[in-house]
Amino acid sequence: MITAVRALFVSVAAIGLLAVGQSAHAQDKTIKIGALFPMSGPGSYFGAQDKQGVELALEQLNKTGVNGYKFAVQYEDSSCGPLPATQAAKRLIEQFKPDVIIGEECSDATLAVMPIVEQAKVPLLNAGSSSIKVTEPGNPWTFRIMPNEVMQGVNLADNAYKRMNARTAVLLFENTNAGIGNAQVFKENFIKHGGQVLAEIGFGRDVNDFTSIATRVAGLGKIDVIPTYTLEGQGLKITQALAQAGVTKGGGGNAIQIGTIWLPFGFEQKAGKAALGYIRIVQFDPTETRDVVKNFSAAFKAKYNADPTHLNAHAYDQIMLIADVVKRGGKDPQSIRDGLAATKSYSGVTGSVEFDKTNQNTKMDTVHYMETKPDMSWTSLKWN
Amino acid sequence: MSDPAISHDLAVPRTALRARRMGFLLAALAIIALPLIFNDTYWRTNLTICAINVLLALGLDFILGYTGQLNLGHSAFYGLGAYVSTLLIVKLGVPFWVAFVAGVAFSGLAGMFLSLFAVRLRGHYLAIASLGFAVIIYQILLNWISLTQGPLGIYGISPPPALIIAGIQLADFRNLTAFFYLVSGFTFLVYLLLNQLVRSPVGETLTAIREDEVSAASLGINGAAWKVFAFGIGAAVGGAAGCFYGSFVGTLVPDAFFVTEAFNILAMVIVGGMGTLIGPVFGAILLTLLPEVLRGIGDLRLVVYGAALTFVVLFMPGGLAQAARIVQEKLRFGGPGS
Repeated sequence: MITAVRALFVSVAAIGLLAVGQSAHAQDKTIKIGALFPMSGPGSYFGAQDKQGVELALEQLNKTGVNGYKFAVQYEDSSCGPLPATQAAKRLIEQFKPDVIIGEECSDATLAVMPIVEQAKVPLLNAGSSSIKVTEPGNPWTFRIMPNEVMQGVNLADNAYKRMNARTAVLLFENTNAGIGNAQVFKENFIKHGGQVLAEIGFGRDVNDFTSIATRVAGLGKIDVIPTYTLEGQGLKITQALAQAGVTKGGGGNAIQIGTIWLPFGFEQKAGKAALGYIRIVQFDPTETRDVVKNFSAAFKAKYNADPTHLNAHAYDQIMLIADVVKRGGKDPQSIRDGLAATKSYSGVTGSVEFDKTNQNTKMDTVHYMETKPDMSWTSLKWN
Repeated sequence: MSDPAISHDLAVPRTALRARRMGFLLAALAIIALPLIFNDTYWRTNLTICAINVLLALGLDFILGYTGQLNLGHSAFYGLGAYVSTLLIVKLGVPFWVAFVAGVAFSGLAGMFLSLFAVRLRGHYLAIASLGFAVIIYQILLNWISLTQGPLGIYGISPPPALIIAGIQLADFRNLTAFFYLVSGFTFLVYLLLNQLVRSPVGETLTAIREDEVSAASLGINGAAWKVFAFGIGAAVGGAAGCFYGSFVGTLVPDAFFVTEAFNILAMVIVGGMGTLIGPVFGAILLTLLPEVLRGIGDLRLVVYGAALTFVVLFMPGGLAQAARIVQEKLRFGGPGS
């Protein structure tokens, strides 16, 4: 009896050890990606769309794996705020032990998370935060694939002055890190060219009625461009209020709203005729003819029965860039960091990626200019 | 002349006094043991946030639970403490503990200032006035960019300097465990002081005002002065929480002190049981840890959190403190009908 019990014990222990060994082996061959996305609060639409892009990328990658590695993602709700993002990042690092982290979208949250990833020595691949502080001074563990506020702002001011022949501007921006930063960069560069800023109007995220602001803008005289920096909800109301006040083309006026990558694909359809003539930078151009874009759009449509937004595309690119690094030998946080830093002309769906010494993507083909046509579709302006 | 606090304590049955002291001892032991049990940075972070939130809940409870002043603007004092102390450190190079005292004092004075004007208001009117105050403070933090950096935020705020006595470093507050001990130790001290205060004749005076201000006035109690006093103390405690917040998170943006934060603090007090000091402590711990514990269930997390909050308010209107009392009585006297 004792022998039988001992045999049973040894067998169970052996099976246990085998299972642990296999599990460890399986874990060794998995690249663990932590995702810090806002999934609650006003920024939750970021998280929902990011997740779609990530899931599509995972589905494609995990069919065959890359260099023998599969990819696993753990999502954490970082709520677009410094404290919840800090908590979510620490939870990810302590409990999931990721090889790389993607996110956050909001600059405040990303800036709060950066010292934590630096201390833990886990690379953070960011797409959505435009604040210059993310990469200047930044830290060796944080990378950004989207153009920062200076790159976008300088380019937008150049194009407004040189291509659109704009000489007067009114700045509309939300009172956030990114809103103020974007507006200031445009202002400095537009004035440098010889343009004139007639007014700078900031507003909180709690403002719901833009009639008084539009009326004020209407009284400012001849306006050529109105650079606008706000999220979609307020963006729709501003565009409609400006059209109703007869300021913009959509309302029979002459001014043209311009902007950087704040508004997702589909904004025009929601804004209707008021958006006519709106020129803005988008990070993803679904009309591009590169294979990678066509394949992504088709796969996204097949999976979700919808056209992809720039948020979907960003998240997809983040995962695919990590896969590219793994293909080049990345297997743990340090080698993935080094692989990201060594990236040369990686071609993603939003454009190409190559980091400078601050870990900022330097490629301007990620900046696509779109103009809203009368039927509310886009014309790609091919300015970059 | 006898000390009123001591004479009051003598009136308390010896067994109750012993139980209370035992409770304090257990709480102190729990504070010491917690970071040793939860030894990763994630849980130690959550424990520190718990301690900060307990401080906030204690401050609001002193105003709301003990003098019945419905303050919906506690986030303002939290924010004032955070910004005053941080700006003094960052812009003027003031040492942390001097800035801490200044932040606490400024928040307390702001509370007294608000209370001076709002002291004749009650119920809904006071609630609206205090809410308005919180909105004003938030707008100042957001729009006075030259001073507060507004939405651009203040980053890289350092933790308090290391505690060095006679050349020996006793604690380095860059270490999360040391920071937790600092905040929880301070919170424990505040609890002890408030506990002494509410059990002294001062506490009875405040309770008398809460129950019936007219009757209290007939006994010669100056209700207005005591309400200003309570508001000042509660606001100062909220300010202390803010001073710790900035140096803990390392980042300060006005959104952290938006008026919704005042409702979170109010929920901690109500769920815990206002008018008791121990209730808000557990309310703050529960409402801080519950969303974290529920992270495992993903998207349903906030649904379950909201449902739990509704459940407590519907079925335990006196909060956790009332529920604990019911359980205690049932254990002592048996179930109904026995």
